[in-house]
Amino acid sequence: MGKSYRFREEIVLGDLAFEVTGDTVSELCTAAALAVIEAMVDPLSVETNWTKEVRLSEANIEDLFFEWLNAIVYVKDTDGVVFHDVRVAVSRDSEKNLWHLDGTLIGDRVDVTRQALRTDVKAVTKHLYEVRQKEAGWYAHVVLDV
Amino acid sequence: MKLATTMTVNRLTDVVWEIPKTEKPGMLVPARIYGTETILGAMDAGVFEQVTNVACLPGIQRYALCMPDGHWGYGFPIGGVAAFDVGNGIISPGGVGYDINCGMRLIRTDLTLADVKSRLDALMTELFRTVPAGVGSKGFVHLSRRAFQDVMRNGARWSVEQGYGWDSDLTHTEEEGCLGGADPEHVSEQACQRGIGQLGTLGSGNHYLEVQVAKNDRVYDRHVAEQFGIHGDDQIVIMVHCGSRGLGHQVGTDYVRIFEKAMKRYGITVKDQQLACAPYRSPEGQNYFAAMNCAANMAFANRQVIAHQIREAFRRVFRQSPEKLGMRQVYDVAHNIAKVERYEEKQFLVHRKGATRAFGPGSPDVPEPFRTIGQPVICGGSMETGSYLLVGTAQANAESFGSTMHGAGRTMSRAQAKRTIRGATLQQTMAERGILVKAVSMSGLAEEAGIAYKNIADVVESVDTAGITRKVAELLPIGNIKG
Repeated sequence: MGKSYRFREEIVLGDLAFEVTGDTVSELCTAAALAVIEAMVDPLSVETNWTKEVRLSEANIEDLFFEWLNAIVYVKDTDGVVFHDVRVAVSRDSEKNLWHLDGTLIGDRVDVTRQALRTDVKAVTKHLYEVRQKEAGWYAHVVLDV
Repeated sequence: MKLATTMTVNRLTDVVWEIPKTEKPGMLVPARIYGTETILGAMDAGVFEQVTNVACLPGIQRYALCMPDGHWGYGFPIGGVAAFDVGNGIISPGGVGYDINCGMRLIRTDLTLADVKSRLDALMTELFRTVPAGVGSKGFVHLSRRAFQDVMRNGARWSVEQGYGWDSDLTHTEEEGCLGGADPEHVSEQACQRGIGQLGTLGSGNHYLEVQVAKNDRVYDRHVAEQFGIHGDDQIVIMVHCGSRGLGHQVGTDYVRIFEKAMKRYGITVKDQQLACAPYRSPEGQNYFAAMNCAANMAFANRQVIAHQIREAFRRVFRQSPEKLGMRQVYDVAHNIAKVERYEEKQFLVHRKGATRAFGPGSPDVPEPFRTIGQPVICGGSMETGSYLLVGTAQANAESFGSTMHGAGRTMSRAQAKRTIRGATLQQTMAERGILVKAVSMSGLAEEAGIAYKNIADVVESVDTAGITRKVAELLPIGNIKG
């Protein structure tokens, strides 16, 4: 299946929908983060002068995936940054019945003179929201409010 | 007529269409769509699906509505209006949108096109410098936590008290720029953190600041227009479209999460997760209402600070005071909001998502200067084609929960718009047509090209024919700032 994302333009005309796949949950979360990042800026135009660690724990993958994407939107506003890349590792604690995500956001402060900014992502919606395991890996569908 | 749905859609009038409640299991009321046959035929499948999903929500009254600028949104369609019984009905963030109190503000001037033309470049440059726009932009107002709570409680009144505006701005703003029942206790720390640095910023997407012209041949109701301060004669006006920024976005996010859990407790099921809701009278419902009002007040305060910045930019460019330039506010009105309103002796919680309040003459909620005329309604079109000033009617109060359209409404995805035209090309062709555009994002600019939107004249014609607003004036762009 492999790590990939694809924007779907035939739905939610004013907003942005995308579907994403990954062989593992880590790949799924990485690919989805890259889709959110790309909605906001051309990542190649962003330097790597800034990093932030994000740690999340949730009882299920649907919530973990959702909170991860929300965290990216939140950090964009509170730290005034856009992103170049992301690193993600997801693990499961069977004993506590929790999924853990360790993420690193890499980017730089917003600078309109140097970065190819795109559109502000307001929120990750629950419209047509889906995260599921398929035979060959993981699949998710997300609609962003922009 | 070919429609994007297999549902039965009955013609009630030439511009009002109804989907019977038998069309989908769970519908409690019919769904109604406003629009000419052409507008209805161009609506995407999502509108029909979503407006009928709304018709299934507990406590909904009369019908679920969609205005002619409607299109596929999340939860409610954009252009959606629904009223719920305050006793046994629900409240839903999906019926308000994440950009709580996204709305429009219109400022008139005594300047004419002839006064501005030679200085348009300097004016747009100054406005672009003065009003921050785009991803991650921060405002010039630095707020303590306590001051931000005052913003959330007092809205535009806070801004005017700080010197960012005139007292008359408040009397020319919906609810005088301050919704009651705002309680920052119900706003999360995360929401405060997202919004505290953003007062006075436009944002991006379809948000904009536009310098426009009122031409004589586009003033359709001269009497009403003059009451609103619009006299034509190539008069310059300024329109602002923006909302509550990160604060509202996070309030929406927080309460969708809270309502998902609450729905299980209250035994509510919905057709779309984004329609997550809670009984209005429940603790969760009341908490959201208090937080939503905080965000709505932040939006009023935000547009008030932007209005101040606009006046200051005009002062610097034209070397005259804003008072001398006649820069009075026509009106400021929300189009993403839920409000308790009285209809026929009953109180309803009216959700408007991409729809504007349009109260008619005599309504006590219409500001005194306009009470015998009706409430001004500001509708933003695409940056290439123009916008409209309308007036509310008694028929809107009787028929559409005092609501009407809010803009042109998209017909093309953002990606398709970008494939059709490049931002730089659009900027150049618009300049050749006399519209100067300053944009933070060239791809964002392409996404907002006029071709991506319905013909706003057709949309306005629909609500004018339906009688839920009347056309007052069309305002043509000459300068635009986009995030």
